[in-house]
Amino acid sequence: MASTPLPAGFETLQAFTAHWVLPDAAARMQQRQNTDMQEIRDFYNALTPMGDKALAYLAQFQLGELPEDAENLLKLMLSLAEIAPAVEWYDSREVANGYPVTRIRFLRQISDTAAQR
Amino acid sequence: MQDAKIPVPPIGLTARYPDVGTGPVPTDAYHEPAIFEKEMEAIFKRSWYMIGRVDQIPEPGDYFVYEMPTFRQSLLVCRDRDGEVNVFHNVCPHRGNVVEHRPSGRCRGLFMCGFHGWSFDLKGNLANVRDGEGFFDLDKSRLALKPAPMGIWEGFIFVAPVDEPAQTLEQYLGQQGRDLAGYPWSECTQSYQFETEIACNWKLAVDSPAEVYHIPILHPNSAAPTMMASGNPFGRLLDVTLLGPHRTNSHYSVQAEPRPVQKLAYTHAAAAQNVVNDALEYEMPPGLNRTRDRNWTVDLVMFFPGLAFTTSAGMYTAHQVWPLAANRCLYQQRVFVRRARNAAERFGQENTMVEFRDVVMEDLSTLERIQRALDSGQIKHFHYHDHELALRHNHKVVCDIIAAWERECAGQPADSAVPEWPTHP
Repeated sequence: MASTPLPAGFETLQAFTAHWVLPDAAARMQQRQNTDMQEIRDFYNALTPMGDKALAYLAQFQLGELPEDAENLLKLMLSLAEIAPAVEWYDSREVANGYPVTRIRFLRQISDTAAQR
Repeated sequence: MQDAKIPVPPIGLTARYPDVGTGPVPTDAYHEPAIFEKEMEAIFKRSWYMIGRVDQIPEPGDYFVYEMPTFRQSLLVCRDRDGEVNVFHNVCPHRGNVVEHRPSGRCRGLFMCGFHGWSFDLKGNLANVRDGEGFFDLDKSRLALKPAPMGIWEGFIFVAPVDEPAQTLEQYLGQQGRDLAGYPWSECTQSYQFETEIACNWKLAVDSPAEVYHIPILHPNSAAPTMMASGNPFGRLLDVTLLGPHRTNSHYSVQAEPRPVQKLAYTHAAAAQNVVNDALEYEMPPGLNRTRDRNWTVDLVMFFPGLAFTTSAGMYTAHQVWPLAANRCLYQQRVFVRRARNAAERFGQENTMVEFRDVVMEDLSTLERIQRALDSGQIKHFHYHDHELALRHNHKVVCDIIAAWERECAGQPADSAVPEWPTHP
């Protein structure tokens, strides 16, 4: 049993969990900046085609009531949201010719998994 | 999907406001420390500032601390047992330590200073003094936490940074505030907040998103595909409305083909997006999409001096620029989205925040470069396009208010050229 389990049907994503299942948005932002572009592309190319299936699966659950494997899948998808502009807009982990994202501090984040009211 | 017949928004916005002028704008006010000092007296001390939302503290005892930049005031915001929101200076009257050192939480009824243990109730009354018999004629009724002037507009908590505000919150918000009542501000219960300190004048940071002449060039792959597509090759605005010291830009958009990950969010998590496919569940207030254009996407609603909302049909952001020096400011951004109705919609929230954040990083990229050109004297005038009207207006409002304040200081009639901005007769 994997220490970071994923739901049945998503086994091909297992190799990405160690690097891309992260605690929050600030950690994901940091990870994008610390990962080389080829590795970001590999993750994007593996996960994007499974995005429809993953979100259809996640839509069955309420936040706050996620089984561990679904939670890990959601966290992979949240990392996909973080790295998508690197692939789709910039071809670079940094915002092209941009202000360094590493200079921003998060003061409040939306919990990845807690119930929302 | 793209309609070739969509008309290009015309030139002619500035001509509607002849007082604003059309000439080159001198750049002194963007770097001169002496002008910054005047702005502090004439503008910043007479303004109101948004420090959070009432839904951050839904239950009695809930509190948060806000460290207000510019004025360097620590503020304690709490909800009392009567359900009222109170704002206190977070300063113990005994020796000046903070009364609450945690950023937020739920208080059981007493805030206790972590220095000597004086404690205060949710209405700020001094409740307990440890070893009180050692004090000399202490009048506990006069040692409550000091309230800060505060007011609430549409669920946003505002404070004034001085004991006797120069204007009420309602006067400050003016017509633009009245025109935005009724937008579903409180439906967007989930929010991100981030900040960064930028080595630039506060007006550069305010002006950064206030024109879209730059969209095709500065945002070629991110915002440009929707904001300049089809009939609007230069990415022009639909409308600019100036109201006293405040102003609103209305942004044009067409639905472009989304990128693959964006498409996932639109398809599975539209509720968290600024794309609303369903009919609105509320009546659009008069202050949004003033021209009622069907190609409208978002308004940038700017409250002078430093608060602005990007307000779309389904979600909004709020940014604030806090002046720190003539060439330094703190930029705070909040992104508000609707609650996720299921776990898939959590993805839409994150997609919205990341896209918006990266576009902001594009916007902010120019600011320290411009400031360097200002500080080194390499640029003496700015030259504004018709659709950069908001920037021209910002400069004029600053100059007019300072001029009125100087007349006021000289004992002359201080009639301001800016309606709705207070002067002291």
